[in-house]
Amino acid sequence: MEIRLPRLGEGANSGVVAGILVKEGEKVRKDQTILELESDKAVAAIPVPEAGTVAKISVKEGDEIKVGDLILTLKADGGKQEIASSQPPTQEVPQPTMSAQRGKEQPSRSPVPQIEGIPLAAAPSLRKIARELGIDLTRVRGSERGGRIVLADVRQYLAELQKGALAPPPPTSSVATVSPPDHVDFSKWGSVRRKKITSIRKTIAQRMSSSWNVVPHVTQFEDADITDLLALRKAHSAAYEKKGGRLTLTPLIIKALVRSLQQHQMFNASLDEGSGEIIYKDYYHIGIAVDTEQGLLVPVLRDADKKSVLDISLELEDLAGRARDRKIAIDEMQGGTFTISNQGGIGGAHFTPIVNKPEVAILGLGRGALRAVVRNKKIEQRVILPLGLSYDHRIIDGADAARFITTLVQAIESFDEKELALAGRGSKKKPAKKGKK
Amino acid sequence: MRPIETEIVVLGGGVGGYSAAFYAADKGKKVVLVEQDDRLGGVCMNRGCIPSKAFLHATKLLKEADDSSARGITFGKPSINLDEMRAWKETIVQKLADGLAGLAKNRKVEVIRGRGYFEDSTTLRVETSDGQKFVHFNKAIVAVGSKPALPKAFDLGNKRIMTSDEALEIEEIPANLLVVGGGYIGMELGTVYAILGSKITMVEALDSLLLGADADLVRPVKRRAEKLFAEIRLGTKVGKMATSGKHIKVTMEVKGKEKEELFDRVLVSVGRTPLTNDLGLENTKVRKNDNGFIVVNPQQQTDDPVIYAVGDVVGGALLAHKAAREARIAVDVITGETNSFDSIIVPAVVFTDPEVAWCGITEAEAKERELPVEIVRFPWSASGRALSFDRTDGMTKLVIDPVTERVLGVGIVGAGAGDLISEGVLAIEMGATAEDLAESIHPHPTLSETMMEAAEAFYGYSTHIYAPKKKEQVEG
Ligand SMILES: Cc1cc2nc3c(=O)[nH]c(=O)nc-3n(C[C@H](O)[C@H](O)[C@H](O)COP(=O)(O)OP(=O)(O)OC[C@H]3O[C@@H](n4cnc5c(N)ncnc54)[C@H](O)[C@@H]3O)c2cc1C
Repeated sequence: MEIRLPRLGEGANSGVVAGILVKEGEKVRKDQTILELESDKAVAAIPVPEAGTVAKISVKEGDEIKVGDLILTLKADGGKQEIASSQPPTQEVPQPTMSAQRGKEQPSRSPVPQIEGIPLAAAPSLRKIARELGIDLTRVRGSERGGRIVLADVRQYLAELQKGALAPPPPTSSVATVSPPDHVDFSKWGSVRRKKITSIRKTIAQRMSSSWNVVPHVTQFEDADITDLLALRKAHSAAYEKKGGRLTLTPLIIKALVRSLQQHQMFNASLDEGSGEIIYKDYYHIGIAVDTEQGLLVPVLRDADKKSVLDISLELEDLAGRARDRKIAIDEMQGGTFTISNQGGIGGAHFTPIVNKPEVAILGLGRGALRAVVRNKKIEQRVILPLGLSYDHRIIDGADAARFITTLVQAIESFDEKELALAGRGSKKKPAKKGKK
Repeated sequence: MRPIETEIVVLGGGVGGYSAAFYAADKGKKVVLVEQDDRLGGVCMNRGCIPSKAFLHATKLLKEADDSSARGITFGKPSINLDEMRAWKETIVQKLADGLAGLAKNRKVEVIRGRGYFEDSTTLRVETSDGQKFVHFNKAIVAVGSKPALPKAFDLGNKRIMTSDEALEIEEIPANLLVVGGGYIGMELGTVYAILGSKITMVEALDSLLLGADADLVRPVKRRAEKLFAEIRLGTKVGKMATSGKHIKVTMEVKGKEKEELFDRVLVSVGRTPLTNDLGLENTKVRKNDNGFIVVNPQQQTDDPVIYAVGDVVGGALLAHKAAREARIAVDVITGETNSFDSIIVPAVVFTDPEVAWCGITEAEAKERELPVEIVRFPWSASGRALSFDRTDGMTKLVIDPVTERVLGVGIVGAGAGDLISEGVLAIEMGATAEDLAESIHPHPTLSETMMEAAEAFYGYSTHIYAPKKKEQVEG
């Protein structure tokens, strides 16, 4: 009798032979598992529909087989089907080797070997739940006497599975980047002082190493000519001052950035690793890295696309001020879609900022400086702003980044003066409180 | 005529068929049930479990009355009116049939009387008394069951050669009855006829009766049968049968010598054959095995994606409760639930005197598979309850995993074993340990205490038997 791969269930028509559990010449019982088949859904145990002796095995481990393909030929043991269930002669049951499921770490198997023909030591109701959830109870360790599996064991197993699935490949916790890996006695070489790191520093350390470990970073460098933008700024700053705002470079860059993000929405997106989806956001909340005494803080300026340059400048000042005074609320530092880190006020040129996960890109601004530039075949003095765009290479390719930064540079270099019109409220205070209860 | 449209058609109205039809209807499906007999209920109700148990009950009364002279109670010689006995059986069966018909009606299951035949994987043709009907279905469940096997050599068209079907009609009480086959049907019906007054010769080709049951469970049954029957011949093959006037001439090989004997009647109980011929299965993708049983997977699916099969027709243990469980699985799978006949414990019960019942791993099976097990037995001679009705010829046995102490199998022989076995099924299904049984109070005086005491014996402290330190031997 030929044993062929039976239908496996909805949508599963083929799989890879993960294990063959019988040998040629071996006697098998009806329903004994002969093969483990791995499909993209699960590892399925394939039973023989009848008792007999395995004459010839036609597949080998690693083979991809389809429904209807010949697995093995079975010699019937003969004899009439008796009414009372007579057990055909059998041999020691081979323990099915459990192939690890798609490389994922599986919680340990039950220490109690399963006996063919006898249900696992678990109540029928629990076995039903497991069936419905697609849980292989042979992998669950029973905590009760006799290795009996109870609901709590299944819960525990699920929690373990979840932990395994959610943990990113390398462990990211701990402040490994802050504390030295080994204990080193620095006082051997001179006097030292010890100071506990702050909780902000701990958080920064954790988030930075998490992002660094998970996100494959690439940084795209570029220069922007901001000579004209500075001229615009100069022309309008007096008017802004009257309205109580300080027209610095950052609000202008934010405006140019948002226009570019609107054209390249991937840079405003996030990656949902669990579901394997990219989440595009219809809002533009720009995080601003602020240097404070305790360390880096990143308040978020919400709906930057809907705000005038004046509103942005007012709000920016408020946010940065409160961040420095540590008067910023946690939720005011959440929900960003893209971050800007401006070091221009301090100095330095190009640098490679670290993406502020779950965002996918970050823009680092260096100090704008006078440079000799060739323009219209003449050497001219221009103010050049160094830009560094770091991005998550898992979902953004180099070409995307090049296109994005070109758009951005263009938006900066030919900044639309109309954006500077004082159409905003120009009110005095508290725009940052908007949207908060 | 327009075909009848239905979500599910069930072919065969036996235990498997009506269980599937009712359950599917309870789950909101439109169901058509096709049955060729006038009555629903199939073999179990009409010519199987129910009539056989009715007659066993009636004859048990005769036997008890006979046995009670030792207790100081004597009755006059009983008179047996076969017509009234048959009528009594008939009322039982009719009551059950009426009940089923009512249940079908309440659930709005459409029952079509007629013989079904698959035209293809979407259409069933039904030959009814008022012509052909066609049923268009989305899913079909085949539950056509089985019939007694009657080897060609015995099929002489002589009504003196009976199968269980005819034997349960009890046309007469033959003076000499040959029972061919010592399985449970032969043993049960042999018992009935023996008590009614027939001289029974039982012939079994194998070396033991009741294949599948452990030898120690069969022994008390055999001992009693040896008294009740004229003769039991094991390892004996029946060769030929021939009509010889009002007798059947039977040739068999006894101890290497051919022997010819005359019997008034012969009961052939050598197994059952699935009713898979002439069903039009060749017009579908359904596959049969070499013995004619339909091949299904643990979800009861045949090789045809829309056709399922349950009950005797798929083979395995040919028992009503197995059919009923398979019916649930098939319907669950059809309605999109996950269910599977996977490592399900099917208890077996033989309603001989005394009864035999077992479930899970038997002692013989454990030996054969070289499973490390510990066996504990509790003889009913130590049971007050068994003593109180003079039936100490019983035994309760547990097959236990010595490491986990889990109960892997239970075997019982003795009066009422069929009712006692359910505790064993529950214990195994729940993954209970011997200690779980020992720690559960069993009421006194009942036979169920034998389960508890057997479990206690595993730990060496059963009150009513002396079985010291068993457990330590295991560990040592
Ligand atoms: C003497 C005897 C005693 C038994 N005692 C017990 C017992 O104590 N306990 C136990 O569990 N089991 C017992 N059994 C076994 C039990 O009867 C069967 O396991 C059970 O009946 C199987 O149910 P089923 O639904 O699969 O098939 P069946 O009961 O055989 O029902 C099949 C039905 O399908 C109908 N059918 C067949 N073909 C067609 C067709 N083409 N069109 C329409 N209808 C069709 C038949 O008429 C029948 O009604 C006994 C059997 C016998 C013979």
